[in-house]
Amino acid sequence: MTNGTITEEKNIANNSGKTVYPRHTEKIMKGNFAAAEAAKLCRSGFIPAYPITPQTTIVEELSAKVARGEMDAAYVNMDSEHSVFAAAMGAALAGERVFTATSGQGLFYAHEVLHAIAHFRLPIVICNVGRPSIPWNIWSDQSDSISQRDTGWVQIYGESSQEVLDSVIQSFIIAEELDLPVMVVLDAFYQSHTSENIWIPEQQLVDEFLPAKKSKGDEIDLESPKSIGGLVPPEHYEKFNYTYWQNINQVEELTNKVGKDFGKHFGREYKAVESFNINKNTKLVLVTMSSITTTARGVIKNHPDVGLLKLRLFKPFPKQSVLEALKELPDDAIIAPIERNFLGDNYGATIQELMRAFYNERNFKMYDFYTGLGGKDVPPLTIEKIIYKAKNNPKDVNWIDLEY
Amino acid sequence: MEPLFEFAIKDEKVYSGALSCRGCGWSLLVRHLSSILGEDTVYVVPASCFSIIAGPFPLNELKGSIVHTVFAAAPATATGVRAALDRKGKKDATVAVLAGDGGTFDIGFQSMSGAASRGENILYVVNNNGAYMNTGIQTSTATPYGAVTTTNPGEGYKKTWPKDLMGIIAAHNIPYAATISLAHMGDAREKMKRAKETEGFRLLMIDGPCPPGHKTDPSQSISIGRLAVETKLYPLFEVEHQKYKINYFPEKFVPIDECLKPQGRFKHIFKEGNEQLIKDIQEHTDANWKRLLALEKISYEE
Repeated sequence: MTNGTITEEKNIANNSGKTVYPRHTEKIMKGNFAAAEAAKLCRSGFIPAYPITPQTTIVEELSAKVARGEMDAAYVNMDSEHSVFAAAMGAALAGERVFTATSGQGLFYAHEVLHAIAHFRLPIVICNVGRPSIPWNIWSDQSDSISQRDTGWVQIYGESSQEVLDSVIQSFIIAEELDLPVMVVLDAFYQSHTSENIWIPEQQLVDEFLPAKKSKGDEIDLESPKSIGGLVPPEHYEKFNYTYWQNINQVEELTNKVGKDFGKHFGREYKAVESFNINKNTKLVLVTMSSITTTARGVIKNHPDVGLLKLRLFKPFPKQSVLEALKELPDDAIIAPIERNFLGDNYGATIQELMRAFYNERNFKMYDFYTGLGGKDVPPLTIEKIIYKAKNNPKDVNWIDLEY
Repeated sequence: MEPLFEFAIKDEKVYSGALSCRGCGWSLLVRHLSSILGEDTVYVVPASCFSIIAGPFPLNELKGSIVHTVFAAAPATATGVRAALDRKGKKDATVAVLAGDGGTFDIGFQSMSGAASRGENILYVVNNNGAYMNTGIQTSTATPYGAVTTTNPGEGYKKTWPKDLMGIIAAHNIPYAATISLAHMGDAREKMKRAKETEGFRLLMIDGPCPPGHKTDPSQSISIGRLAVETKLYPLFEVEHQKYKINYFPEKFVPIDECLKPQGRFKHIFKEGNEQLIKDIQEHTDANWKRLLALEKISYEE
């Protein structure tokens, strides 16, 4: 996260040298509460909900905000995640700004409806608190969201809970501009249940950035009745996919643009990817998502030849941004993605996506590193081990905690 | 017989060219229903015969809005539509789910129960033709005992009783639920009006004729429906907050054979040696009627 400038007032460094954001309030808050706060600040009008650990405090907090009258929204306790997403679909079809949150099995259960929402082109934004599936586990893991990568949802991963809050606001802009749903992913417990200092923007500041949802004329409208979602014959079907493809191709650029605009407006600038210490002298680049990035960021300070690439936008995969970030990196450098996801496949998802991005473009040596699955802590020592192993006779795929 | 009510459709809300089979119950049902609900209605349709009848993209058979949604969650989609309309101040518009028995008794059951329990202001209409007819006559939990389907073929005919949907939905203590027969259109229209005017979760179940699935002649759709009521296989009643009211009492005893015999799906049960099967269905039907009488009696006891 880099600090840009705010348009009217400069960010003020106080006596301790700490950045202060004008028109914000600083609060100590858990990630789930930051997510709920973001949904409120975005003036979400419909929130269907179903509880699942570790998402629960998001929907509890939203129900409380509505009950206390702090939030003008319809909050509905649904009977399942499948119904949550089907209800989200109904309200979005009728033009409402919709937010919900889920996790793990809930996201898996909603899989069918995730496809429907995406291909009905509904700009719904959700938070997913990442946890895996069977064997039963409730802790941090990205297998749930990553296994939904082919549903057509945009996926953004937040390194901090500040990023989660800020990304939800940016996601509504991206979603409503391109008619695509966006999933903002945060780490179970490391973010969802961990308190951080978070800068909460004033409502007015958010309203200036994210105006009320505009009607596009294709919503359910009693004055202009239409049939939505009927069987699409083969002569039309491909056209829908073609326009989808055109819009999904705009996501990366728009994410960078919205991230920059956000920086000007709020003082915190974002990009599809972020790079640290990647230059012509870099010998190894770690690739991370979410909170592991923070740990890796600290560790590489002791390794002048190691760089770090953080993927914030994961789906659609930000190929151009990645290539740009690695532009100066020599061809004999090593790329070592850290995979907090296991898809039942030989390679993890990050290296798969990177390989696709590099094909016909760059030819790095690439070694995959599984770690942190099912919430296992990834302390600095694990990152150190990855760095050592990547440089010393690595295997194609490495289970750093089990085979080291 | 009940006296004939006025049931001519004066304000047609269905365009010509519907894609239903000849003798299909959906067409007659939806013509009457839409003429009563009016154009300020959003119909939410899960996978069903009606999702075909309503027309492929970009057609709309109805003067009203239609949302085609996923099979298992039409009441959930309707919940979202309802909430959004309410927030726009369109509280008077009707949100109506049009589902088949598969989408109601089976895959959409939880979603329906959820919406009913939440007291969603939704009208749920289930056209119960006793099987997955749209996909080619596969068994649902609404398929009658003894019926043959493509997944209960021949001697493997269905040997379990259909789910008591009305009993289950009544147990949700909803403000209004009723059974409808297309052979009793006056009664049906009154119930449609009542359902429209009631606020909260309402359910109408229609005994849906299906010539290809029931192996009947399209010309028999109404007469077999009438026999279903006369034999008490399909009693006409309504339930208001768990209070039952029977709307039609057959004047004389008509054995179930008369209703089942014209239906090819029951052909095998009239083979020699299957007398006990007919007896079982008759006994079950009589027991259901007796239970209904008892429920009506206790509903209004002081």
